[in-house]
Amino acid sequence: MIPDWMNEKDTYVPPKKGGAYLYKTMRSMGLIMSRITIQTGSEGKINIPAKWKIIVLLLSIIAISVTNNKTVLLFFAAATLLIIALKPPEVINRIVKNAFASGIIASIFLLPAFVTNPVGRMNNLLVLIKVMLSISLVSIFNHSTQWNHITRGLRCLHVPTVFVFILDITLKYIYVLGNFINEMLTAHVMRAVGKNKDKYGSIGGIMGVTFIRGNELNKAMYEAMVCRGFTDDYKGL
Amino acid sequence: MAFIELKDITFAYDEGENVLSGFNLLIEEGECVFVRGDNGSGKSTLFRILTGISYPASGIYKFDGEEINKKYLKDNRNSKLFHKRVGYLFQNPDIMLFSNTVFDDVAFGPRQIGLGDKEVLARTEDILKTFDIEELRDKAPYHLSGGQKKKVALAAVFALNPEVILLDEPLAGLDKKGRGWLVEFLKEVKSSGKTLIIATHSDEIEAELDGRVCEL
Repeated sequence: MIPDWMNEKDTYVPPKKGGAYLYKTMRSMGLIMSRITIQTGSEGKINIPAKWKIIVLLLSIIAISVTNNKTVLLFFAAATLLIIALKPPEVINRIVKNAFASGIIASIFLLPAFVTNPVGRMNNLLVLIKVMLSISLVSIFNHSTQWNHITRGLRCLHVPTVFVFILDITLKYIYVLGNFINEMLTAHVMRAVGKNKDKYGSIGGIMGVTFIRGNELNKAMYEAMVCRGFTDDYKGL
Repeated sequence: MAFIELKDITFAYDEGENVLSGFNLLIEEGECVFVRGDNGSGKSTLFRILTGISYPASGIYKFDGEEINKKYLKDNRNSKLFHKRVGYLFQNPDIMLFSNTVFDDVAFGPRQIGLGDKEVLARTEDILKTFDIEELRDKAPYHLSGGQKKKVALAAVFALNPEVILLDEPLAGLDKKGRGWLVEFLKEVKSSGKTLIIATHSDEIEAELDGRVCEL
């Protein structure tokens, strides 16, 4: 029943090279995605409704964006720092990391203007501060509000149902699909024991299967929701 | 010296309780071991350690005399040789199939180990025939039924001709005929001298294969 070659051991000497930069990158990506935990927003003892948080966040970002008044910016910076200081150390770490990452990206974009236009350097600096402040506020919001409360808040603000539904499903499935990619890559590494001549084909395959899986999960969840009385009017939780 | 040796293995997921604590296991070459336990008892974790996917927090894992740890598997050559020798059937076959056709998925392993085109073709066709999935060869794996996916995933594992085969719930998703066939197939695999480690809740496979039970 089993083929003859299965009765013998293969004499296999793996090549020294052929480790995959792309696999490592995708594996890291999968790990990062799987670390995105949903429902981690700790709302603390004072429970402010999400819709008010969204309104304050939007108004603050608009105010920070349009203002040229340094006192207003200083006020927002002080308020942001105060809120951050009240958070647990690991949350402070994440918020500060996000703020600095956005600052670095903004600096790269602003670098040509900074070099070529010495007169406008102060304005460039203001843009940088505005970006970092806005991202810090979004991070604070993210870490202090649960996803289901965000979607409920958006519904209260009369954001279209379809938008809220898609946002909700997307947020939940980033985690699920991240884990799926991670598992697929692990299974792939288990069989990638030599030099892969069709590296891009394999990666394309993994991405394709993930896309199909995402579609299947989406469809299955929609059907499960319909079975539980969902009538296309998404109310959130 | 045992072929596979786990000594005082402790493992916990991020800041959680220990899934495995002071776990010991010795497996000889050609042996068949059934890993049993309730849901969440650590069967899949044990398999992840045995396949070098996860590393224990403490304890020693030796495979054929070599200590398998992060440092050892960081070497590209060691990692490839180890994964060539240890095959793993995941519980969910979906994650194992990524090629456009069943043939390509099964041939992925033989192509990796540098066999010539003729040998790859012969080995893949042998396996497709053995698993009775020849008619699926040009089909896309994600369009198959659960049982067919399981068979293709099994075929993909065996196409690499590993010395140790870890099977996580191999009978799940298979119909009665498929289960009977797989048990017979595994009997032959065992008699060929390969080491089998099987996580299962099924008495059917235990009754047919002569093996030892490891309760978690």
